[in-house]
Amino acid sequence: MNKDEIINKWLNHELTNEELHVFNTRKDFENERRLAGALHHFSAPELKQKEILVSILSAPKLKTKGSIFKPLIRIAAILVIGLGLFWYSLTLNTTIDSKIAEKLNIILPDNSEVVLNAKSYISYHKNSWLENRTLELNGEAFFDVEKGSSFTVKTNEGIVTVIGTEFSIKQREHIFEVICYEGTVAVNHKGQQQTLYKGDTYLSINGNLIVTEKEKLQQPAWLTNESIFKSMPYTEVLKEFERQYNVILELDSDIESNTLFTGRFTHENLDIALKSITLPLHLSYSKTDQSIILRREH
Amino acid sequence: MAKKLHHTICDSTLFSAFFERHAKNLHDFLYYKFGSELNPKDKVQDAFIKLWQNCGKIPPEKAKSYLYTTANNLMLNAVAHRKVVYKHREIPVKNHTNESPEFVLEEQQYLEKLNKAIANLTEAQRVAFLLNRIEGKRFKDIAEILNISTKAVEKRIYSALKKLREDIDGI
Repeated sequence: MNKDEIINKWLNHELTNEELHVFNTRKDFENERRLAGALHHFSAPELKQKEILVSILSAPKLKTKGSIFKPLIRIAAILVIGLGLFWYSLTLNTTIDSKIAEKLNIILPDNSEVVLNAKSYISYHKNSWLENRTLELNGEAFFDVEKGSSFTVKTNEGIVTVIGTEFSIKQREHIFEVICYEGTVAVNHKGQQQTLYKGDTYLSINGNLIVTEKEKLQQPAWLTNESIFKSMPYTEVLKEFERQYNVILELDSDIESNTLFTGRFTHENLDIALKSITLPLHLSYSKTDQSIILRREH
Repeated sequence: MAKKLHHTICDSTLFSAFFERHAKNLHDFLYYKFGSELNPKDKVQDAFIKLWQNCGKIPPEKAKSYLYTTANNLMLNAVAHRKVVYKHREIPVKNHTNESPEFVLEEQQYLEKLNKAIANLTEAQRVAFLLNRIEGKRFKDIAEILNISTKAVEKRIYSALKKLREDIDGI
């Protein structure tokens, strides 16, 4: 009988009686027999299962473990998350924006005043405002700045820095206009530095600096619901009109849109305002559902 | 699909049956793997206590693997705490014997060699081989206890036998 086969069966406890006899008597299994006999000296001690089982079943169940702390942990987690959100919110900028035909009065944390003209927005950091008076502007606004450290207005066009003064900024698509009503204003526009004193205007249209006369008004006209233009391209006037009245103006193709316009319109009455911007150029207007069409008078 | 009869083994009858089925195998497993020094009996008890205390959280089909993992980890913790050389039970000295002193001495030497050789096996080889030889388990039973294939068990046992033969002169 094959030795390996018997060893194999021996290992898997499959020996038949006959094979067992061979294993127990044949000389060449002597070593295995000796090993098998000796191994019993190494057997694991008997386990007193009954005693152990009793002691296990009498062990207290741990159902309540941690139940004292769990609510506390929950509260702590909520607090941590809440505080985190709170801190995060502190770092967020405050953003205020005005819609078409809307003007907003904003008091900044240092009591400086901002008046936003229609369709404009500012964004500033509320909590560090007193240390760092910097805000971003997109659109048009009037500032009455309290005295103190420098006050900076950033726009896409340029940066305006002031100390205790009143001024307005208009930053629209093609126009960048800063008017100083009181104190001094430093304008940094496309690498150009200019200081404005009371009544000075800095006006850039399409990147070209326009020389203007002294401003006589104490504050921008739009604060009193009027828009005033001096030699302004007509398209800019129409855009301002659209911002103030939420209408769409269409210009007949035979009208020269770059005509310079000097005049004003009110923000309070659409018809009067329309007349204000059409009569001086000998235009007429007709309203449709969606838009107002401006034509040359015949 | 058949609906499961029990969701937990918190019922003491169920738990007792589970204990009867696994306690001895678990103890043998720990004993042959780690030796006697680290008190495998206590670890068996502790592992079952953990299972009993957490029975609500452990589905019955996971109970066995939870039990073995827990016990094994308890053992490993103990190993880490005091590094102990693997040692099997003391070889019993027979007081009454009618065999010749030479034979007794030779037998004693053989057992010491065997003890060393067993300690020299890998844990995997030792567990499989001793469960097979001492506890009389077949390949299939061992495969089930260790959660491995029958082929792997066979391989471990053969390699263990080969190594013992090499380590003990004459085998």
